[in-house]
Amino acid sequence: MTGVAGVVLQVLLVAVGSPLLVGVMRQVRARLEGRAGAGLWQPWRDLRKLMRKQAITPAGTGWVFRAAPMVLAGTALVVAAVVPLVTTESPLDGVADLFAVTALLALGSVALALAGLDTGTAFGGMGASREVTVLALVEPTILVSVFALSIPAGSTNLGELVAAAEANWLSLLSPVTLLAAVALAIVSIAESGRIPVDNPATHLELTMIHEAMILEYAGPDLALIEWASAMRLTLLLGLLAGLFAPWGIATAGAGALGLLVAAIVVVVKVTVLGVALAAGEVFMAKLRLFRIPELLAGSFLMALLAVAASYFLV
Amino acid sequence: MPDLTYTELLYLACGAFLLTGVMVLWRRDLRAVIRLFALQGLALAAVIGVLAAHQGDLELALVGIGVGALRAGLLPYLMARALAAGGEDRETRPLVNVSASLVVAAALAMLAYAISRPLTELAPSPATRAVPVALTVLLVGFFVLVTRRRALSQVVGFLLMDNAITATAFLTTSGVPLVVELGVSLDVLLAILVLYVLTNRIRASFGGTDLDELRELHD
Amino acid sequence: MRASELLVAAPAGVPLLAAAVYAVFGWTRRTAWLGAVAAALLLAAAVGLAVAVTGKPALTGCWGLLRVDALSAYMLIVIGAVALPAMLAGPGYLADRTGPRAAVLARRYGVFTQLFLAAMALAVLAASLGLVWVAVEATTIVTAFLVGHRHTRKATEAAWKYVVICSVGIGLALLGIVLLYFAALHAGLGEGEGLDLALLAERATALDPGVTRLAVLLLLLGFGTKAGLAPMHAWLPDAHSQAPAPVSALMSGVLLAVAFYAILRVKVVADQALGPQFTRVLLVAAALASLAVAAALLLAQRDFKRLLAYSSIEHMGLLALGAAVGGALALGAVLLHILGHGLAKSALFLGSGHIQRAAGNSRIESVRGLAARAPLLGGAFGVGLLALLGMPPFSLFASELGIARAGFGAGLGWVIVAAFALMLVIVAAVGRHALLMLLGRSSEPGDRTDRVDRGAIPLVAALGVCAVLGITLGPLGDLLGSAAAIATGVAP
Repeated sequence: MTGVAGVVLQVLLVAVGSPLLVGVMRQVRARLEGRAGAGLWQPWRDLRKLMRKQAITPAGTGWVFRAAPMVLAGTALVVAAVVPLVTTESPLDGVADLFAVTALLALGSVALALAGLDTGTAFGGMGASREVTVLALVEPTILVSVFALSIPAGSTNLGELVAAAEANWLSLLSPVTLLAAVALAIVSIAESGRIPVDNPATHLELTMIHEAMILEYAGPDLALIEWASAMRLTLLLGLLAGLFAPWGIATAGAGALGLLVAAIVVVVKVTVLGVALAAGEVFMAKLRLFRIPELLAGSFLMALLAVAASYFLV
Repeated sequence: MPDLTYTELLYLACGAFLLTGVMVLWRRDLRAVIRLFALQGLALAAVIGVLAAHQGDLELALVGIGVGALRAGLLPYLMARALAAGGEDRETRPLVNVSASLVVAAALAMLAYAISRPLTELAPSPATRAVPVALTVLLVGFFVLVTRRRALSQVVGFLLMDNAITATAFLTTSGVPLVVELGVSLDVLLAILVLYVLTNRIRASFGGTDLDELRELHD
Repeated sequence: MRASELLVAAPAGVPLLAAAVYAVFGWTRRTAWLGAVAAALLLAAAVGLAVAVTGKPALTGCWGLLRVDALSAYMLIVIGAVALPAMLAGPGYLADRTGPRAAVLARRYGVFTQLFLAAMALAVLAASLGLVWVAVEATTIVTAFLVGHRHTRKATEAAWKYVVICSVGIGLALLGIVLLYFAALHAGLGEGEGLDLALLAERATALDPGVTRLAVLLLLLGFGTKAGLAPMHAWLPDAHSQAPAPVSALMSGVLLAVAFYAILRVKVVADQALGPQFTRVLLVAAALASLAVAAALLLAQRDFKRLLAYSSIEHMGLLALGAAVGGALALGAVLLHILGHGLAKSALFLGSGHIQRAAGNSRIESVRGLAARAPLLGGAFGVGLLALLGMPPFSLFASELGIARAGFGAGLGWVIVAAFALMLVIVAAVGRHALLMLLGRSSEPGDRTDRVDRGAIPLVAALGVCAVLGITLGPLGDLLGSAAAIATGVAP
């Protein structure tokens, strides 16, 4: 029973909290840059305003364009139900596989890239091509680093990975975990479109990736995409926190109090990570587009080294 | 020290050693490369320190401190001085581009694993299982030496190889005899001093430290 | 300290003292000949040691760090015999250097040449393979300054390549030493004795073959780099052509041989641990590659110092071939070849220094009609080249014949045939260049012949010794026999 309650709790947390996380990150950036900032609730206010507008689609676009926001938000919600953020005892445990989660997130990205192509505009196509380039480099890294993590635990099931790490926290200090953590952190940043790979705050045609794809969206569709993007960021941060700092996640047999504690802990962890990410972005410049493959090749190398290390350092 | 903690700490230090080694391939900024090299020296000292704590060997601990002082202190200081004396501080166009060299490094890791099989099989222990890490850094150092064009990058490549050899020595045998270790450290220090002097001479007579300029001698 | 211990330490200690004197007093008229005195003392100590160890057990000294057996004593004699003429040529080389920095450069020259001698002596004296490594790497460091002595662009370039390539190569040898030590500890040797050459040879059969194979491969690669064996020879022509003539003589005549000595020591251990086939394959490959590289690059050579450098690569290839053949006859020939090549090559480098000074550069085309302009120097240079090409009556003829005979006996006939085919090319190439230099028509009248001719005296002396050795070994025969027995692993 606590499993179902936990899953409902974490879906709610992600759905409600993710725009807040974006708000916190923007606020941190604003304060570090010496601005007052718009407040924590500004993303929610933006969403509310967009939701009230009329839904329009550009002439000449098809069902792909209209379905993409739904797919994006849908996959994000499914992942939110599956990933062990609050509890490892999800009733959906059977699909809580790291490969499955990666594939779900990639599905959302691909849907958005297709939508960008569907608009037939220069920017949409450009953004889609760049997104797919990044995706092509990110996917192998995720698969390889997941493989590395799964060797010591003997499973790719997220719940088991987290439970194993929680039981033996010293194993988190092994080079395998550390290398995989660095690799996954880099690709998470790339996947969620943050600096140094992409800058969510600009619309410069030379550099934008994510913003180029969603340039033609307006009204509720745009709100859905913004909300889904925030959820994806939250989920990736939560996943990183769960895999590499699993303390506090409720395991089997935890009561209602355990769930409550777990929820508070996960909020704190994700907030800390988000604040660190936002603070890092202030001090970092966006990489030039042709340097991005270098960064991602580096993360791929680390993932490969993690696999190699998991074989010879046992 | 309990065995499990010993293994984890040793592998943690080895992981840092490996990571700093491959990051050298990634960074173009020579200042950052020197910082990475200094960090690697610390990781090497940590490896020796963990081994010393495990064996309760005071002499080994002192050697570890000495190695750390040389490789994380003196040598990076010398290189930073050489860099400060001359203008260019970036590796602008390595022979193999950065993405490709990172992929090559992954292949080198596999090669190192294959090479070190007989070593691990001779005496399986946590320490010898980490030898592939040292050999990977050796091959990466050689790769840096061959593909980078700045004088200082070549020096870093040479020192990466030397760090790797030292790490191999301590992982396999807890260090070669002390006389040899002292001689080796002295030789490395002197070799770096020679290269330091020669770097200044190259800069004075060729107007830069791009080794592509060195092509007057040929048949 | 007993007298024998003092004698053991002398070959390295005397040059060290001389270096200290140069460091303190500088290069003055009074200290100028000190270098030659130190070299003579080194030679005397080597002869004394040779008498003491021929057919007798090895001497140790310096808390067991040094050990002299017949092989070490023989190598010390080679070092002394080549160092003496080279050091005698030093004052002449520095005499016409003037300018504000001349005094500083001369002092540096004095210090570093003596340190160079001390490091080479230490390399052959060392009881432990680790100490051999330390000494060999020390020669790289010391000679780096000597190669870059002239501060020109070319000299700086040569010094850079020399230090980087040799240090990296020798770094591989260090890894090999570490791995060998690892294998030795697991073969039951104690912590302090795991690198002791004699103990390693004694217990070689207990070494783990897998680890030893890797270690020997790295050691051969590493010391092979320093010995100038192809394919790791790239530094050699540059360094040898840019160094001052006396230093080139030492580098080409003995430094390569000292590195090769390390290979011989490793081979003793490797052959017992792995069987002779492993090192044989590696050495044959290196030998043929070296001969091929030398033949190809000698054909169109335009610089006579580089010509001599490539000839050194050729002779290192021959040494590798002899070592690959193995056995007492081949290794005796190898050791004799080391001495003969050292004498002839150092004499030629010293002579080339005089020719270079007269011609103003080291291009073959700027030297014409040497035989007419400086009959003694030109004649000696020509005869020296003949000796180098293995013509009788010089000792190189005898040693090459010995290697060939042993090779056919060991079933390596095809390798010997291939090697001699390559050497035929080398003879043709060097002969053509030599004829042009000696007999070619001169475009300008020579007027500095007088000074140039005086430089031929050490050349003639060295060639004389070389010729005598080709006819009879005399008292050296016994020493050579004992040394070859050690190099084959027969004697302890």
